[in-house]
Amino acid sequence: MSITEDRSDLEKAAVDVALDVDAPPTAFEPDPPPALYPPPSGRIDPDTSLGWIRRMAPVVMGHKRSFAIAMGMAAVALFSNVAIPAVVGSGIDEIRSDGDRVSTFVIALLVLAISRAFFTFGYRSRLYKFAYAIEYDLRSLMFRHFAAMSHGFYDKVQTGQLVSRANSDIRAVQMLLAFAPFMAMTMMTFVLAFGFMLTKHVLLTLVAVSTLPLVFVFGVKLRNVMFPLSWVVQGRLAEVATTVEENVTGVRVVKAFAGEERQIQQLASQARRLRWAAVKVNDSRAKYAPLMENLPRLGMALTLLYGGYLAIDGQVTVGTIIAFSSYVLLLQAPFRMLGFFMIMSQRAAASAGRIFEILDTPAEVTDRPGAVDLVEPRGQVDFDQVRFRYTEDEDESAPPQHLRPEEAPAPDEAGMRRRSRPQQNVLDGFDLHIAAGESVAVVGGTGSGKSTIARLLLRFYDINEGAVRIDGHDVRDLTMTSIRHHVGMVSDEPFLFSASIRDNIAYARPDATMDEIVAAAKAANAHGFISELAEGYDMVIGERGYTLSGGQRQRVAIARTLLANPAILVLDDATSAVDVRVEAEIHEALERLSADRTTIVIAHRLSTIALADRVALIGDGKVIAIDTHQRLMATEPRYREVLATVEEDVDLTDDVATAEEVDV
Amino acid sequence: MGGFGPPAGSPFAAPGATGLPFAGVPQELQDRVDALLATEPEHDVPVVEFSQADFDRKPFTLWRFVGEKKWAVALAFVLVVIETLMVTAGPFLTGEAIDRGIVPRDEDALLFIAGLYVGSVVIGTIVSALRVSWTGRVGEALMEMLRVRIFSHFQRLSLNFFTQEKAGVLMTRMTSDIDSLTALFQEGLVNMFVQFLTLAIVTVVLFSVSPILATVLFLGVLPVMLILTLWFRKASDVAFLTVRDRIADVMSDLQENLAGIRIVTATNRAKRNVVTHDNVLGSYRDANDHTAVIGAVYGPATELLGYLAQAMLLALGGWLVAQDRLSVGELAAFFLYLTMFFAPIQQLVQLYNTYQQGRAAVRKLGDLFATEPAVLEAPGAPDLPPMEGAIELEHVTFGYDPAVPVLEDLTLRIAAGETVAFVGETGAGKSTVAKLVNRYYDPVEGTVRIDGHDLRDVTLASVRSQIGVVPQEPFLFAGSIRDNLTFAAPDATDAELEAAVDAVGLRDLVDRQPEGIDQIIHERGSSLSSGERQLLALARAFLSQPRVLVLDEATSNLDLASETRIETALDAVLDGRTAIIIAHRLATAMRADRIAVIHDGELVELGSHDELVAAGGRYRALHDTWMSQATVVDDAAVTVPT
Repeated sequence: MSITEDRSDLEKAAVDVALDVDAPPTAFEPDPPPALYPPPSGRIDPDTSLGWIRRMAPVVMGHKRSFAIAMGMAAVALFSNVAIPAVVGSGIDEIRSDGDRVSTFVIALLVLAISRAFFTFGYRSRLYKFAYAIEYDLRSLMFRHFAAMSHGFYDKVQTGQLVSRANSDIRAVQMLLAFAPFMAMTMMTFVLAFGFMLTKHVLLTLVAVSTLPLVFVFGVKLRNVMFPLSWVVQGRLAEVATTVEENVTGVRVVKAFAGEERQIQQLASQARRLRWAAVKVNDSRAKYAPLMENLPRLGMALTLLYGGYLAIDGQVTVGTIIAFSSYVLLLQAPFRMLGFFMIMSQRAAASAGRIFEILDTPAEVTDRPGAVDLVEPRGQVDFDQVRFRYTEDEDESAPPQHLRPEEAPAPDEAGMRRRSRPQQNVLDGFDLHIAAGESVAVVGGTGSGKSTIARLLLRFYDINEGAVRIDGHDVRDLTMTSIRHHVGMVSDEPFLFSASIRDNIAYARPDATMDEIVAAAKAANAHGFISELAEGYDMVIGERGYTLSGGQRQRVAIARTLLANPAILVLDDATSAVDVRVEAEIHEALERLSADRTTIVIAHRLSTIALADRVALIGDGKVIAIDTHQRLMATEPRYREVLATVEEDVDLTDDVATAEEVDV
Repeated sequence: MGGFGPPAGSPFAAPGATGLPFAGVPQELQDRVDALLATEPEHDVPVVEFSQADFDRKPFTLWRFVGEKKWAVALAFVLVVIETLMVTAGPFLTGEAIDRGIVPRDEDALLFIAGLYVGSVVIGTIVSALRVSWTGRVGEALMEMLRVRIFSHFQRLSLNFFTQEKAGVLMTRMTSDIDSLTALFQEGLVNMFVQFLTLAIVTVVLFSVSPILATVLFLGVLPVMLILTLWFRKASDVAFLTVRDRIADVMSDLQENLAGIRIVTATNRAKRNVVTHDNVLGSYRDANDHTAVIGAVYGPATELLGYLAQAMLLALGGWLVAQDRLSVGELAAFFLYLTMFFAPIQQLVQLYNTYQQGRAAVRKLGDLFATEPAVLEAPGAPDLPPMEGAIELEHVTFGYDPAVPVLEDLTLRIAAGETVAFVGETGAGKSTVAKLVNRYYDPVEGTVRIDGHDLRDVTLASVRSQIGVVPQEPFLFAGSIRDNLTFAAPDATDAELEAAVDAVGLRDLVDRQPEGIDQIIHERGSSLSSGERQLLALARAFLSQPRVLVLDEATSNLDLASETRIETALDAVLDGRTAIIIAHRLATAMRADRIAVIHDGELVELGSHDELVAAGGRYRALHDTWMSQATVVDDAAVTVPT
């Protein structure tokens, strides 16, 4: 029992972290733009023992007013809907009996029709808006949660999958929430209409609706048959699409090896298999859909037959027969929709489960209560006996199984798939002390943990043992925003957003002036190529297929970090993808950047080492030796070994990305 | 919050609570899929005729396409006519039953007419089932033909076609265009016909029963209905387009924030980005709200029109009946036909979209089929006999855009068995040389010959199958290592396969796989390192035992260790073959017998490494830069690759 309590506490905490993003920004965070829309009106109930609708209730309750109005209007619309056929039926009877009151029925019909139209408009538009409001809330909650998650989470998920999953799951839930009240209304229609029919003639009512349950039965059957079938069709469509895609993107290889005929043969077989499945789908539809269409009609025919006899006997009127025919058409809807609704609920429940699984995942790295801000640091950095490993999959904080990268659940490929992080310690007894203002290069073989150092300093992860300190403060005692304000990083694969170059450079300081941005770009040796672009700083990256080359991206990333002007700088070999001339330019920029500040350079290239005062050689999770480059060359044979593997041949060409563009 | 929610513990409750796994295919579904597939017969292998030069050049139109199955389509239309007649008989029979059975109290007549009604429903059901099944079969047969035809034409088209258009756009010929056509055939055409027919029959009946009533109806209600429907179509088109744009904004903002999460956290942008995302979400929600309003106006408004028509009918009908100009049965039939009258109009307007999309798909496919391959095999061209490997480029001028030459008047002879490396700046045209030798393109002027044969005079397959290509970005197919290797030589024996694996040094990799050479490599070989992919591409080229080998910057993206492995492998592969090496790195170029320096589309230097260094030209300059870079840190005992 206590275990479950602990768990739900933990999950409460997780939800609380997600709400952090609603707090006003600290001095270290850029001011948000004006919020044009309110934040979500509720959040998911953190109690995981509840059913999904109950957990969703706080979100739904945030819109209860508009929901209540919608339902009220629906009730009026519903009443008119059921009353109309009765009025028409009575009107026909009145005509038959040569009565003078026909105009009464005409007026009644007009009033009912107009009120029906008005209230149907009212409730439908409100109900849909209600569903869209919930969709907004769920998407916003999801984003807030993502924003609060730490890096361990993102290491283990594929973001593409995360995005598409979240999208379709939210949609499934939203559709059900919009459809459920609709369904409830339809059921109410059924009850009302059925009740009215019973008052006219019990047995005729039963005859009229006798075929409708079959509509439901066949509907369910059809869906049952379709379920595996559409799965197969989707699979085969994908098969064909894959072949086409491979042949389009791999056209050079296909042509180079004269593989055209074999590829066509392969596609023809796939198309044949697809056709079989598609015809199967169609045959199932042919079997059930006409039945579902015509069963209500059969009900109408039977109503005419039996109602006719009753009318000859004088038990019912002609108007009643006509009204009953209309009711049969009105009543078939719930029977048609019910099966669909059941499937939809199942799907929504599964989707809600997946959404909750994400929202229930707690953030691993959080500010401890009473954490203090790091203020104007001198820039002394200490790693004291640090032991660290990336969390393994079994960890509680691991993301939901369906969001992990594909390779994770495939143990049979363990030998092949080396991308998942090793679970052993990356750093163990790691000691590194860097004085304020000093530049230190970190050198080590692949997988030696070089890049991890930067991530720990920025507190993307928490270490397992030891301490990482800035100016003597353990980073866990400092607020994360203040650390990240003062520690800047240029990563080896710089990520730029699909925004203008100006916005990318000003990413950390959106309020920077144009002069500051240009100054940063100049210092990063990026101003030259930016001014040559047609739209200069307003060039939107990724638009019209325009991409920057590796070296250009890196220089924009350097400008971005320069503009933030951090006291401590980590450069994760920022020059790996560029040619000699560009590298020289970048190094020039980096030298400017690292002057007077504490700098850690993760070096993959020999030439980068020249930027540093001292070099730390790391291996086996430890610092093996630390000294100047010259002395290490002289005294440390392992240093020379590592250097031999990092040194690369010299590229003769310009940036790689440009090569792809020109090369037709 | 009760009412519509499933109770906790019901099958619809949160599966999280019951610990259901979310990943993969549910077992139940898998079982049913398996059961379904067990009923699948062995399909006979379709035989496809393929020719590089001969293909259907007549314009592709909807009618020509459907015409391939014209009798089958005609049968479908006959079935549709019967089906529609059965459906529209209902109200008429109801009216007859009232006038001939109920009013004169004639039970036999009632039984007979109601019996006809039941009969019409039964026949209608059967014919409808036949029709759906039949049109499905015909449609799918046409789609299969079309898929093969599109794909065959893709195979026929030359490289320039694939570089001019994004892969994603080309894919839509086979995906969304086919989908549009399927929709047109399965639903669109037949449904349009059904609705037209229904409309026509109802109109005729209405006018024949009571011209006055029908005229009033047509003049009073129909125009409003049409205007409303046209408005709705336009408004909803615009609205849904906006929704699509906005959801794309939402998705890309989300995607970017997740992909760039490290930058987002490192720059403390989380709160700012939450607000930005809310704003994006909000405008998506506004767009959705707009569609809600449009939909909520159209539905009730058209239904209101229907009821107004009924009210009119009640008033007018009462008057006509009183004057004995209309019977009660006819009035009743009129009411029932009214409900049938509006649906087809709404449906037709919606179907018009399907029709337009189908037409657009036909037009795009027509354009595709009308595209002539830029590199076309001469009709009746003979095969190139087994190659010696002597390559001649004679006064070759070429440009991807003929107005902008990439190569100008290039003449070069490569002897059989010789290795020539091409160096030069990006865009100088060195890769282009390789593409001409492989006949990916034809020169604008001049001639490319192998063993004295002009490449334009022999079959494409015979040229390409004797040339091995290792591209810069090694492309691997989804499938096993074996499938990828044998791509070049489908008939290779296991022994040959093993020999190729050993020759390029892939043995380690193969032995490491649980399934050995039959190991499935994932999407594009993402599970392999780029060095391993490169080695696979090399083994693939090696397996085909080509006389001529083209290496396009095959070692440019590799780390030192992989490069060393590949260089070693190359020695084995190049032995005794003509080779063209497009080199990024001098170390690669230096292995060649001769080096050709290409600058601005012209051959500026040609000779061995030593000769060119001694000559002191462009090559010497490149070499000097490289030497100085290799010793940036002067203490480092870096071995200069030789």
